[in-house]
Amino acid sequence: MMKAIQQAWLVIVLSLVFGAALAGVQLTLQPRIEANKLADALNQIPQLVPGATQGAAAEVAGRRVFRALDDAGKLVGWVVPAAGQGFADKLELLVGVNADASAITGLYVLDQKETPGLGDNITRAEWRAQFAGKSLAQPLQTVKTAPAAAQDIQAVTGATISSWSVVGIVNEQLARFRKELRHE
Amino acid sequence: MDYLTTILLLAVSTALINNMVLHYFVGICPFIGVSRRVDTAFGMGAAVTFVVAIASALSWALTRFVLAPGAPLSSWAAARLGYAGAPDLSVLNYIVYIFVIAWAVQLVEMYVRKFFPALYKAFGVFLPLITTNCLILFVCLEVMKHVPSAAGAPEPWGLDLTLVYAISAGLGFLIAIVIMAGIREELDLCDVPAPLRGPGITLLVAGILALAFLGFTGMDAGLARWLKAPAADAVPAAPAEGAQP
Amino acid sequence: MSKAADGPTPLERFIGGILPENPTYRQILGMCPTLAVTNTMEGAMTMAGAVAFVLVCANVMISLIRPLLKPHLRILVFTLTIAAFVTIADRLLAAFMYDMSKQLGPYIPLIIVNCIIIARCEICAARQGPWTALNDALGQSLGFALGLASIASIREILGFGTWFGKWLGWRVIPELPAAQWSNWVIMVLPPGAFLTLGLLMGAVNWAQHRRAARRPA
Repeated sequence: MMKAIQQAWLVIVLSLVFGAALAGVQLTLQPRIEANKLADALNQIPQLVPGATQGAAAEVAGRRVFRALDDAGKLVGWVVPAAGQGFADKLELLVGVNADASAITGLYVLDQKETPGLGDNITRAEWRAQFAGKSLAQPLQTVKTAPAAAQDIQAVTGATISSWSVVGIVNEQLARFRKELRHE
Repeated sequence: MDYLTTILLLAVSTALINNMVLHYFVGICPFIGVSRRVDTAFGMGAAVTFVVAIASALSWALTRFVLAPGAPLSSWAAARLGYAGAPDLSVLNYIVYIFVIAWAVQLVEMYVRKFFPALYKAFGVFLPLITTNCLILFVCLEVMKHVPSAAGAPEPWGLDLTLVYAISAGLGFLIAIVIMAGIREELDLCDVPAPLRGPGITLLVAGILALAFLGFTGMDAGLARWLKAPAADAVPAAPAEGAQP
Repeated sequence: MSKAADGPTPLERFIGGILPENPTYRQILGMCPTLAVTNTMEGAMTMAGAVAFVLVCANVMISLIRPLLKPHLRILVFTLTIAAFVTIADRLLAAFMYDMSKQLGPYIPLIIVNCIIIARCEICAARQGPWTALNDALGQSLGFALGLASIASIREILGFGTWFGKWLGWRVIPELPAAQWSNWVIMVLPPGAFLTLGLLMGAVNWAQHRRAARRPA
């Protein structure tokens, strides 16, 4: 045992030194990192829910969501993070809904790895604007031509599966959120 | 049924669609270095699969029970020491993982030396170099993202899904390296231009292989729909994705 | 002060790392980040910066404790040092350059197993003084950055038409109608990485060969 320590004392000392250094780094930087993660979503709240100027993290039935509040702190809507499988990889969305989750007020794509120039057109504001105002009482449908019915979303040309994935994620996750909100 | 679907989708997606070598660029060094003959390539693929399975299982267990924020063992120790609040040792993750990998490689090295001495000699220095194989650390990092913890991983994995993921990653590596070895055995008989001999032509062949594997993209979305096919699907069937490469 | 037989001088180490012993084209090390993060110049330069930070810190630290290294435990010490500095670099990036941290994702922690750093620790830092080790680290980092920049430039210009598009917004290829030019999307996808690196390696080898042939025998 003593011989092992004699051989390995440098490793042990270094482990302790680095452990302390890393603990210090963790303590100083972790608050900043957490703030960065939240800022991603909080920065989008004013665009996603009209009338909202600030947001607060909350939990609804175990799901992490954000309450969209106006200047007076009144609830004007919710911002729901939703994720699912896209064409190439995972998609992470932020969906803004009104206070009783009856209609979508906005959509933002947090993270996507779709094909550049084709699938990643789902991040463009013009395409996402289609979602604003859509009712959540009925599931949305993807169509390839100009939208005819109220629940139609026109897919991005050449990126049908990416568009259809976004619509699928919105339908599934928001339906669940509505149910959870009603039970709250 | 849902469970089997999840496992199947995870395995196919990791091994083929998001192949470790051809999509995520991990494990390139042995992919270029050990792919001259099919039998050594197969042996390397098998060794990596073995190591990654052991290393990822250990990493999952250590992260789940010791390192993650609010993990059971560290919480118990912190409570005994009178420390309030949830301890978060996740800053030590990378150091712990690399040591787990080094230990797993030692283990496999001893096993191969005892039971497959010819293979051991054929590998030479490449067997201990598996420690610096990005693939294993990459798999451990991916597992880290899915460990159930107080911080709430979005899709928590148990040990079962972790092992499925790790073994599929190793098998994907094995498929890629064996294909490459088969092609290189043929290339040995060809007249490769001097500047491209060695790593140059290997990378070009890898590029064409990656192009071929790109054809798998989107299959997991389709597979998921087909396996979970509900009767009344509000979304129409996705037409063929012609324009996307 | 350094004896002639002590190994390359600090200046030789520095110059050597840039072209003659370039980690990407001559030593063929660190392939994983070279292929993974070079679809944009920003990603490439952030990765080069992170590797430079870890390489310099690790080299200097190992060089300072080199009298204490035991032969059979030295790889362990190298790994421990590198892993610690990579954790610090990763946390710094997440705190101060969050967008880049998200884009580079798992490839920053993969610096731990980047063969360049372990190789430099073994070849230089464990044997020579801190000043030499520092020069070696700087030279190799510059060489690595050069390698990454060469690949990233080609991939970003052909694939997106921009150069440093996210940080500076420079367009190299103007926005043209599809009939005249459309972006070579394949360049920013995995096959493009392999093909670009393979062809560039061939080009470097060919240039090297011509220079050697032209020199009198």
